[in-house]
Amino acid sequence: MQREEKQLDSALEAIIMRVNDLKTAIAAMIFKLEHEYETLNWPNFLDNFALISGHLTSLSKILGHDKAPNLRNLTVLPLRLSPEKDDELLRLTEGRIPTFAHDLVPDYLRTKVEPQAEQKMIQLEAKAANLNYETSHKQVAQYTKVINHVWDIANKAREEWESEAGSRATQAQTSSTADTHALVAAVGMGKGLKSDSVQMVQSGVNSVPSGMMVGRPGNQQQTPGQGSLGNPPMGQMNKAPSAIKTNIKAASQIHPYR
Amino acid sequence: MSAPISTAMDNLTAAIRSNIIPNQEYLLQGSVLDSAVEVLLHRLRGLCDNVDTGPETFNDHEMCFSIRGAEQPLLLRVRRALDYQDMPWQLRYIGQPELGDKSRPTIVRSSLDIATSNTVVDFLTELGCRLDFEYIARGYMFRKGRMKVTVSKIFKMGQQGKIPESMEAISQSYLVELSVLAPSGQDAIAEDMRIFAEQLKPLVQLEKIDYKRFVH
Repeated sequence: MQREEKQLDSALEAIIMRVNDLKTAIAAMIFKLEHEYETLNWPNFLDNFALISGHLTSLSKILGHDKAPNLRNLTVLPLRLSPEKDDELLRLTEGRIPTFAHDLVPDYLRTKVEPQAEQKMIQLEAKAANLNYETSHKQVAQYTKVINHVWDIANKAREEWESEAGSRATQAQTSSTADTHALVAAVGMGKGLKSDSVQMVQSGVNSVPSGMMVGRPGNQQQTPGQGSLGNPPMGQMNKAPSAIKTNIKAASQIHPYR
Repeated sequence: MSAPISTAMDNLTAAIRSNIIPNQEYLLQGSVLDSAVEVLLHRLRGLCDNVDTGPETFNDHEMCFSIRGAEQPLLLRVRRALDYQDMPWQLRYIGQPELGDKSRPTIVRSSLDIATSNTVVDFLTELGCRLDFEYIARGYMFRKGRMKVTVSKIFKMGQQGKIPESMEAISQSYLVELSVLAPSGQDAIAEDMRIFAEQLKPLVQLEKIDYKRFVH
């Protein structure tokens, strides 16, 4: 007997603690609503909701625990009512209940649902009892049909979304590093563009009479580096040094104008 | 009339000193496969400023001239619009690209350009420059604030400097470049470019590319 009482005490203590947590969370939320309604944003507000629902979950977990005492089997029996003001009670209830009198006790010690809610429940139950089997069956079938339809729509949307995301991941190849390098090298250094242009320079320069003198040195300068690709006559090769000289002259002449 | 007559040179020096000449190019490069270029253009149309007018197309011929310097050849680029023959030509100097370390989101290279007449090729040839290579770039240009985005196909030039009838593209991809011209020291723009490049991923990987690394 004593063990059971102890168990009840500790369980009640735990429950009271959870209820207090819940109470403070609700109070904080009400405080926020009343004082910070101008700056309050949705994420913040929803955080508060999450907190409260967390407290509710832990409370119901305690109540649903195997070792929790079955509170339904216990009764609170008011032994004495008094119309006089009770300071102790006022303190315990944080200023909510000043007296333990006959007009308040039925409300506070009530174990059934509120009268209005009770009435509504009775009405609904009566309505449910009046339905005959066929109509209710029909309604349930209809309801199931609608739910199934919604379920299908949601599933289809999810499938589409997932396949789209999947295909996006697979068709990722939209650029190639090798191509990037080839293009950048071509534009920057002329890689892959030069072999054609060399021939073109030669023919192009020869067709321009005024560019002859300056153009040719440029031409010949290129030939040593070109190696076996070009086959310049030996005479031109020998001229190369002098040609470079004229080139340097031309270059140095630029500077005074700068 | 006591004020000294300012010459063009004075103006230029003053401009250089006060650092108002946009002579630095911030650059990111990438490419997109031909099959995906429509998607990229669509996305760029949404992201960029010239939404109502649509993308600007271009069809340019670029010639790169070089002149032997002390160590590295100096490169000068001449560009002309093939679709607008009467427009001025463009002469452009591009410096060596600086890759910088990882903290720097883009390549930075000095860049100077000027409009010229169509005799600029003769002029450069007279100076001793020789044509190094040339190509045709054809594509689309977008802009977003100060940023410029080009999506272009690079074609080989035909023989004799003529535009070939059937153009040979050098790869199955479009070259994508994101660039800004700014006075030196405006590194904040590079960050904007990095964010913009991020929005084009994974369609295009715009990166700092050191082409010196893979050209032998």
